[in-house]
Amino acid sequence: MFTKENLLKLLQTTKGRLVLIAIVVALVIPLVLSSNYMLNILTLIVIFTIYASSWNLLASSGQGSLGHAAFLGIGGFTSSLLAINLGIPPIIGIFIAGAFSAGIGFMIGITCVRLKAWFLAMVTFGFSIIAATLFTEFNDVTHAVLGFVPPPLLFSSRLPFYYFAFLISLASVAVMYFIMKSKMGLAFKAIHQNEAEARMIGVNTAKYKLYAFVLSTFFAGLSGAIYAHFQRYIHISIFSADNSFLPLMMSVIGGLGTIEGPIIGSVIMVFIDHFLTNIDTFLNSVLGPLFPAVSHVGPNIRLVGLGIFLVIVVILLPKGVTSLLHKLYHYVRKEIIKSE
Amino acid sequence: MIDATILLWGVAIGCIYVLLATGLNLIFGVMKLVNFAHGELLMLGAYVSYSVTTGLGLDVYLSLFVSMAVIALVGLGVERLAFRRVLGADKLNEIFVSLGLILIFDNAAVLIWGEDSKWLTSPFKGMGIQLDEVFLRYDLLIAFAVVAAILVGLLLLINKTKIGMAMRATSQKSQAAMLMGINIEHIYIFTFVLGAALAGAAGTLFGIIFPFNPYIGALPTIKTFAIIILGGLGSIKGAIIGGLLFGIAENLASATLGGIWGDAVAFALLIIVLILRPEGLFGEKSS
Repeated sequence: MFTKENLLKLLQTTKGRLVLIAIVVALVIPLVLSSNYMLNILTLIVIFTIYASSWNLLASSGQGSLGHAAFLGIGGFTSSLLAINLGIPPIIGIFIAGAFSAGIGFMIGITCVRLKAWFLAMVTFGFSIIAATLFTEFNDVTHAVLGFVPPPLLFSSRLPFYYFAFLISLASVAVMYFIMKSKMGLAFKAIHQNEAEARMIGVNTAKYKLYAFVLSTFFAGLSGAIYAHFQRYIHISIFSADNSFLPLMMSVIGGLGTIEGPIIGSVIMVFIDHFLTNIDTFLNSVLGPLFPAVSHVGPNIRLVGLGIFLVIVVILLPKGVTSLLHKLYHYVRKEIIKSE
Repeated sequence: MIDATILLWGVAIGCIYVLLATGLNLIFGVMKLVNFAHGELLMLGAYVSYSVTTGLGLDVYLSLFVSMAVIALVGLGVERLAFRRVLGADKLNEIFVSLGLILIFDNAAVLIWGEDSKWLTSPFKGMGIQLDEVFLRYDLLIAFAVVAAILVGLLLLINKTKIGMAMRATSQKSQAAMLMGINIEHIYIFTFVLGAALAGAAGTLFGIIFPFNPYIGALPTIKTFAIIILGGLGSIKGAIIGGLLFGIAENLASATLGGIWGDAVAFALLIIVLILRPEGLFGEKSS
């Protein structure tokens, strides 16, 4: 698969070139924009890329989780607690965290494989609430209620951390890409489109749905662990419903079921999140006087806008913003060919 | 051992769940639509009542009808503008649209009414009958009566009227219903609007019994889905029994294990039921 000829052939395709350009940009951009603030945003983007892609992988098998924050949190707490209590270096801890999260995911997955999409959404949502309750109840072990500071992940300075997170993210996305292109990925797609038909043609649907669950929760746990070591703080709020809905919105806005969708989605969402003070101040100054009941209307107007955007994307662009880019690309190519 | 007051409050919240669950169950049964934003309609219903009682000085129990009418209109808009366009396609799309609607409704409510907790002041505030150790508030009694009246009306509508028969036909086999000359598009609209009106009524009753804020909608929705699953999809009897049981179980868990356990126990119960009986307690086995 990775022979020299194959890679060279890949580079001759437009897709291969685009991927290469994206990687080069991701490697160079922190050197150009080297402020701590920008590095922060870029690192969050690569971490959320793993998280959103893990959600997207699960959704590609027709299983929409509404409680992925449970696995983000389990991953984050596992690695942080291992480092603090047993002195296990975080660089190993993050992978143990992923594996532990996948183990829990396996158990939830077993209960979910027989369920239909909306039941599964319920069970996963319920599980995120149960997880938060258990972490609160066993606060003596988890220290979740007040939160604590996990040790740094090898590097405490930001630039090397960015490159490390980027490498892990690149590797994770590549693995998920090959899974989605493999026989397993085809099985996921078949199950998503019509589970009964998939079973009829001999796909072991329960087995593949469980695979999707375990793989997805592994990457969710991994991203949670990196996130905790990056923020240098972990707290019970990591289990919040907002965190569960985040990868969903990233994947749907970016493009569900595509490999580039969650990446584009996480770029969009993290940017919105980080320039929100500017956005909010702007919205507040323009629309503030209309709503006297609230002192600062910015965040709420922004969220209403996000909700409308989400509904419009689902109705009009089922393949997300990515499909717009594809259309733009084909249009530009046609024009170029015409002009030649 | 078991305090009667706990049971009473369990039944009270259970009644709210029953109204939500029957509405959602109708929508699911007829349209096969999963609306995760149903609880936001309850929240809006409570606020509509709040506005007409404080703004126009209307009695809270009369405001129930205003709330039902307004939320029915909101439901009409939601069905036409959003859900109609994703119906029948990927089930996940309905969940995504619902999440978008939750964001829109929650934050719009904050913008209009602010974030502070509000409550509806009932004319019978603080009044009730003392039975042994239990203080039976008139408001609770009225709420039970209203829920019972609505349910009786609903059952009559579904079982005795022509449109109810059309709804049942659409629910069983929409294509065959279409062949029989039923305009299923109209049945869909009617069903969704009816479900929304029930949520509006639930919102007013909720606001009379409990304080509310713009974020109260999310948990009741998920719990209502749990109830529907427990009671069996499409079964109104199941929704009623499930709703009351769920309310009592949740209140018992909060009272005996501590507040934070209420939700966790409720969901643990749901997951156990789903493992043992994926089709629900009273549900019929389907493909």
